[in-house]
Amino acid sequence: MQAYVGETFFKRLIVFYIPLFLFVAVMLFPFYWMFITSIKPDFELYNVRRSPFIVSQATLEHWFYLFKETMFARWAWNTLWIATASTAISLFAGILAGYSLSRLRFPGSATFGISIFITYLVPPTLLFIPLASVIANLRLLDSPWALILTYPTILVPFSAWLLMGYFKTIPRELEECARIDGATRLQAMTKIILPLGMPGILSAGIFSFTLSWNEFLYALVFISSPQQKTIPVGVVSELMKGDVFFWGSLMAGALLGSIPVAFVYSFFVENYVSGMTGAVKG
Amino acid sequence: MTHEAGRQRGKTAPGRMRRRDFLAHTGKAGAALAAIAGTNWLTGQAPAFAQERTLHVLEWSSFVAPADVERGRQAAEFGKQAGVKVTVEHINANDLPARATAAIEGGTGPDILQLLSNYPLLYSAGLDDHNDLIAELGGDEIYPFIREAVRDENGVHRGVPNFFGGGANVYRKDIFEEVGIAGPPATWDEYLEAGKKLKHYGMPVGQSLGHTFGDAPGFAYTLLWCFGGKEVDEGGRVALNSKETANAVDFLKEFWLAACDEGGLAWDDTSNNRAFLAETIAVTLNGASIYFVARNDPRKVAPGFADRLGHFLIPEGPHGRYHGVGPFTNCITRYSANKEAARDYIRFVHQDDNFEKFLVINKGYVNGPLPKWQEHPMWEEDPAVTIYRELPQYGRNLGYAGPYNRQSSEAFAKYIIVDLFAKAVRGDSTQSVIESAERELKAIYEA
Repeated sequence: MQAYVGETFFKRLIVFYIPLFLFVAVMLFPFYWMFITSIKPDFELYNVRRSPFIVSQATLEHWFYLFKETMFARWAWNTLWIATASTAISLFAGILAGYSLSRLRFPGSATFGISIFITYLVPPTLLFIPLASVIANLRLLDSPWALILTYPTILVPFSAWLLMGYFKTIPRELEECARIDGATRLQAMTKIILPLGMPGILSAGIFSFTLSWNEFLYALVFISSPQQKTIPVGVVSELMKGDVFFWGSLMAGALLGSIPVAFVYSFFVENYVSGMTGAVKG
Repeated sequence: MTHEAGRQRGKTAPGRMRRRDFLAHTGKAGAALAAIAGTNWLTGQAPAFAQERTLHVLEWSSFVAPADVERGRQAAEFGKQAGVKVTVEHINANDLPARATAAIEGGTGPDILQLLSNYPLLYSAGLDDHNDLIAELGGDEIYPFIREAVRDENGVHRGVPNFFGGGANVYRKDIFEEVGIAGPPATWDEYLEAGKKLKHYGMPVGQSLGHTFGDAPGFAYTLLWCFGGKEVDEGGRVALNSKETANAVDFLKEFWLAACDEGGLAWDDTSNNRAFLAETIAVTLNGASIYFVARNDPRKVAPGFADRLGHFLIPEGPHGRYHGVGPFTNCITRYSANKEAARDYIRFVHQDDNFEKFLVINKGYVNGPLPKWQEHPMWEEDPAVTIYRELPQYGRNLGYAGPYNRQSSEAFAKYIIVDLFAKAVRGDSTQSVIESAERELKAIYEA
């Protein structure tokens, strides 16, 4: 049966379309603001007597500056590689930890689960000092591997905790049926639990990817050469000169930097929501 | 348990590894990894590879872009002469402490850290002894307020101040004239009267009172000193709770409401630049950066804008006139494996011909570490920035009137004096903000 919101167009306009339009406008406004700022010439940008919402003489000079005078393309590649690799590592570890904590019975499993969550609560602003020492001893400073290996310290606990909760919502009987039919524990996990747990896995993946993509402190501390930097650190160090900001290029960089994350979210938003709420019912 | 039973228990099922085998295998694997990686992590020894001499310098990202370019040119020239590969990395000034902390705690990173203000005292344990370099590059001739900012309680200089910066008030001459202000105010009372007219006109005084490294401390500390207040006395005892401090706080309460853009509580170092260039404020305390942009980047301002700007010193208070001056200090790290090259680099950038190029390219934003640089003809070339030459005359470092030490660095890092004023203009009573700041200072100075 098809459900209608409101009986007449007028009612639908009031209770659905107008609120929806307002909501979309608010959600998309930051993107509009970044775009409009990135194409404004400086004399318009710094003149508050003009309307800030429109541009009269659009220019691409800030975009050219971003790509010609900085290493933005390289930073984007670094960010993508680091975020993808650390997400893959975190998901792999998170799935195994989440599965074993939710399904296997062993002494101290509950305590272990809580301990993982507690490690998530240690703020990176404290953790970066001892981690700097570890990374230095491993001679990984100024290498993408410094970040690929440190991001999981914040990503794995969250992923494991989220997946542990999600796997618990999948009825145990489904897995037991597979075992009775002759599947090994590994097969039951890969053929039954993982497909059913895909929304949770995608949620953990999106979360990990977003956090790695936007992370600033570790990237600032562990990376020093311009060609190894990530987008958040690169744009800040190259486009903020003392107390003068290159707003146009900064906004162009921010817009490009936010597109991949928005892209990932838009594809997996339904899975993300169900992953956060736990969707498989027994 | 019998011996036989023990042997039975010690038996391992086929295909399973015994504990002893596990230890043996992991030990071999660890040694192999250490050998492959050449790391000193497991062995504690450095690998015996021939290495290229390198020098890594970490500096702030100057707002005067040509200054960074000139620094890069000098580094390349030094590298060619000394046979060293020099990398100069620029990052945002507010991010320098995080990098310095990680580098010093990790015992690796840049060979030279550029630290602002009296931060070298916070990191003194991780920084080398620079006494010989200080003696060689000026000794007692270096301005005391920057030299003492890097000298620890044992008399060891933890860096060599390369230059210093400070603020003067940049103002709109045309707006002052339009609202009937005769000229730049000489005292805080005159500034209050001028500010009232400006705010009434719609272009008030713009001042940051946020947690940001330059403008806010530069304003808050100097206002306190002008009225006779101080965080500690000459002996280093907390002396904030005084009639003079109360006078300074009460004055700012009135000044803030009557003359200032009240949004300044949330401003950082960039906000007043933007507001001034956008013509929403008529005067603000700043380095020469606003003028530099107005003069050199006409696309960001209206035609002729730079010609309408002037500068005046911080007004005189009941106890005189003061300016906060922040040294930018090159500090060789204790862990550096290239200390000699680092020393040669510092000598190189302090050479007269090199420093002169750096000074000239900054066009009034930086002052030299030695009084002789105040005589440079550059200061006369553009009358708009000549006034910045006078800063050393009124310069004090943070922690005045006490000795500059680790405690004064910590008080600065926690923005205690800035918050003293910020809380007051938000509406807290004068006495309560002073007592609150006094408690925080005592926790630092008397711990």
